[in-house]
Amino acid sequence: MKNTCKVRVKNALGLHTRPATSIVQMLQSCKSKVRITYRRQTIDAKSILSILMLAVHKNANITIDVEGSDSDIVMKELVDAFENKFGEG
Amino acid sequence: MYRVKDLYKEHGTALSLKIVESEECMKRSIRSQDVQRPGLALSGYLYGHTGRRIIVFGKVEMGYLRDMPKEMRIERLRAIFSMTVPAVIVSRNYRPTKEIVDLCSEYGIPLFRSKMMTMNLISKLTLLLNEAFAPNVSMHGTFVEVFGVGAIITGDSSVGKSETALGLLERGHRLVSDDVVIIKKREYSYLEGTGAELTRHHMEIRGIGIINVANLYGAVCIRESKRVDLVIKLEAWNDTKFYDRIGLSEKHCDILGVKVPHHTVPLKPGRDLVLLVETIVLNHRLKKVGYNSAEEFNTKLLEVIARKSKTGKAQHEEHLQSTR
Repeated sequence: MKNTCKVRVKNALGLHTRPATSIVQMLQSCKSKVRITYRRQTIDAKSILSILMLAVHKNANITIDVEGSDSDIVMKELVDAFENKFGEG
Repeated sequence: MYRVKDLYKEHGTALSLKIVESEECMKRSIRSQDVQRPGLALSGYLYGHTGRRIIVFGKVEMGYLRDMPKEMRIERLRAIFSMTVPAVIVSRNYRPTKEIVDLCSEYGIPLFRSKMMTMNLISKLTLLLNEAFAPNVSMHGTFVEVFGVGAIITGDSSVGKSETALGLLERGHRLVSDDVVIIKKREYSYLEGTGAELTRHHMEIRGIGIINVANLYGAVCIRESKRVDLVIKLEAWNDTKFYDRIGLSEKHCDILGVKVPHHTVPLKPGRDLVLLVETIVLNHRLKKVGYNSAEEFNTKLLEVIARKSKTGKAQHEEHLQSTR
């Protein structure tokens, strides 16, 4: 099953190390394949350095692709985390 | 418990001590690491004189005693010696007066003579007693010196501590102790680790047995003691646990009240532990000289994000203006 969703990064500092760490931590135990696309660059969301390489700033739009058996739950968790600004301001 | 006997046996020659009286009472315990010159106590002021400290008679004390009337001399000395003093030392090789010898014999206090100057004797004695009284703890782990940094490798039994140490020795690093590390807190600020006397420089490798590292790899591969700079914990890989991926937050563990940097390394077949330990140590050294790889990377990343954010805003405004 494949899910695609566009989200806006709301953190003041963008996707820096702390949010990137929470994404990787969240995806550690999931079975699905998760990809993030930003400015025509697609990366594996389970690799922390890849997320950081994108250097996503505040208010940027990114596309999340989740493919696998638990894609619905994983997508919901990720979107929620982005909505909550990863617990930051 | 540290006894007068231990002090004499371990450091008697270094302090040039010679027994004068009460050899049979050497079992007395030393209960304080301080050394006292009995100046004020000899003048009759005994406030704070608890008799827990070793008493050293120097030139001035001996002169003061000599100038006293005999009865007073006995009375004052009796007041000092009646409080279970652990030992009395007369410095500068002075001959102890008859009263000192008699009273020491009466109260069963070991009496020594030393050839050293009073100040030298006191500073050396304080240093040695400080070491003997230093708080210590023993820890299960292998203590190695890697690139000059003292690292204790801990972990459950049979996780591969000794094998890692063996690999490190082969690469030219040094072993301090295998299996048990005795850690002492020195000068109330840093930790020093050594091995137990008997097992020092020996290792137990499963399938081989006990080996003597000094004989196998040579004297260059061993060290008697080393400052503890790092603790590296090896543990079996746990899929549900999240391991440090960035290294921005430093973890510490507490040993005798001193904070020591602590790293947890998860094990998996194919991970080269020797290389991992070497890398941790090198990174630690780099941090010590003021360069933190993770922080440096983070600053660079934040700069890039900020720059991108600005150009993104400018583009957005341009786009808005053009559409108006």
